[in-house]
Amino acid sequence: MEQLYSQLADCIEFGKINQAAPYPPQFKGMPGADELTQQLLAEGASAGDILSKALIIGMEKIGVKFRENKVFVPQVLMSAKAMSTALVYLKPLFAQNGSDRKGTFIIGTVEGDLHDIGKNLVAMMVEGNGYEVIDLGTDVTAEKFMAAGKEHPDAVIGMSALLTTTMGNMEKIVREIKAAEPNRKVCIGGAPVNDAFAKKIGADSYNPDPQGVVEFLNAMAS
Amino acid sequence: MVTTYTPVTYRFTLEELNIEVEPIYKLMGFDPDDVHEPFPEMIQNELAILAPYCNIQGGYVLVEPVELQDKTIIINGVTFEVGKKVTRYLKNSQRMALFTCTAGEGISARSKQFMDNGDMLEGYITDVIGSVIVETAMDRIHNYIKNEYSLMGENTTNRYSPGYCNWSVGEQFKLFSFLPDNFCNVSLSESALMHPIKSVSGFIGLGTDVKFIEYLCDNCNSTNCIYRNLK
Ligand code: B1M
Repeated sequence: MEQLYSQLADCIEFGKINQAAPYPPQFKGMPGADELTQQLLAEGASAGDILSKALIIGMEKIGVKFRENKVFVPQVLMSAKAMSTALVYLKPLFAQNGSDRKGTFIIGTVEGDLHDIGKNLVAMMVEGNGYEVIDLGTDVTAEKFMAAGKEHPDAVIGMSALLTTTMGNMEKIVREIKAAEPNRKVCIGGAPVNDAFAKKIGADSYNPDPQGVVEFLNAMAS
Repeated sequence: MVTTYTPVTYRFTLEELNIEVEPIYKLMGFDPDDVHEPFPEMIQNELAILAPYCNIQGGYVLVEPVELQDKTIIINGVTFEVGKKVTRYLKNSQRMALFTCTAGEGISARSKQFMDNGDMLEGYITDVIGSVIVETAMDRIHNYIKNEYSLMGENTTNRYSPGYCNWSVGEQFKLFSFLPDNFCNVSLSESALMHPIKSVSGFIGLGTDVKFIEYLCDNCNSTNCIYRNLK
């Protein structure tokens, strides 16, 4: 079984979706995330174990490589594709047993801003690292963040902004959330955002990349 | 008195622009000499079918006189707070082309549809191609301006956009006040976001003594800026 976990982790890291996929070339003809996940389940592995012993390991490796500029967005998205393939089998099992997830993360791009690639990348990495993700999309108001927060009282809220003008909205939203729920954890990111800005507006964390968000959430969850 | 400027507009088909893959690879972060499948094939396939999703248009108004001060540029009573860097780059401009250009709404809609269906990689590829389309279209317009004015003995600067080089993105409101409403189908939201998303705006300086200066990326810490080492 351990061998299968490690093979699956490699498939996630290198974006090997299924046996038929010709990419990456070094995995040609080998089983991919699809077949290995099914095989693990057939051999009695739990969804939680597949998540923690394979998917999270693979996603963490690609997340670190991305942070270190060793791979770029397309390769991360290949990994995401492989991960989604595995999650197709695991999600129904998580629904039966919610505790397999490490926690819940609510994410959205702030009001006035329509950029979504960076936000999607963060959402996908967080999901691949074992969290349930509630993606509110783009142009998200304080009310929408807070309504989602009510439904998920323990969730951490994450916000993305790509323009300096929408950073103003981010400040407004963070302040509104913190005024209503001082203990709610909020993290922020996006190209023009930085640590000093996070401190100024009262956000709990700024992360320049998705892996940083995962590490922040892991620290909160532990 | 309200001054109206005569707008000049262009339309392009995707085919006319002859999009190259190198800037697409670069914007994705790759070294163009070291890109592996499936990405080149996916990009080629997408480029081959993207034409019907494009509505590529752009244009400019030529404004004069322009008054350049230490950190500001004054055009027809409107003061642009462009900052020291941009005034330096636009030094000696006698007139300026205030431009906008777009690849159209369809590309972002297609990219979003991919993403909504969970096809993030396909959505990202479409998105990046859209960015390269609008930049390539603007390169063409820039060249037309350059060629036209060089016949009259004038030079052209590089192009500069609100949101770069410490020039506030909010200054686009002033820029758009010089353009006809909904010029080239581009509009500006309250938060200074252009619609369609794949749009750019900015200034090009013209004059006998202006210089074309390459983007000085070494002095800037924005590591994944679209202009970084692209030109
Ligand atoms: C919750 O916690 C977290 C944690 C991390 C988080 C997070 C949340 N959210 C994101 N992250 C982080 O993780 C992700 C993965 O690493 C990252 O997400 P990103 O979304 O940053 O990254 C994506 C995966 C890929 N990145 C992108 O897709 C954006 C790349 C850059 C180069 C960029 C591009 C490609 C474009 N642009 Co423009 N563009 C830039 C960008 C420069 C940059 N440094 O990012 C940025 C965003 N653009 C900028 C500007 C100014 C503009 N752009 C414009 C136009 C364009 C293009 C059309 C040419 C093109 C496409 C734009 C688009 N939205 O599709 C204009 C606006 C367009 C509009 N519709 O209004 C225009 C206004 C310029 C103009 N006047 O024409 C700048 C905004 C800064 C500001 N001052 O507001 C900019 C940062 C460039 C710069 N100056 O360095 C991280 O930020």
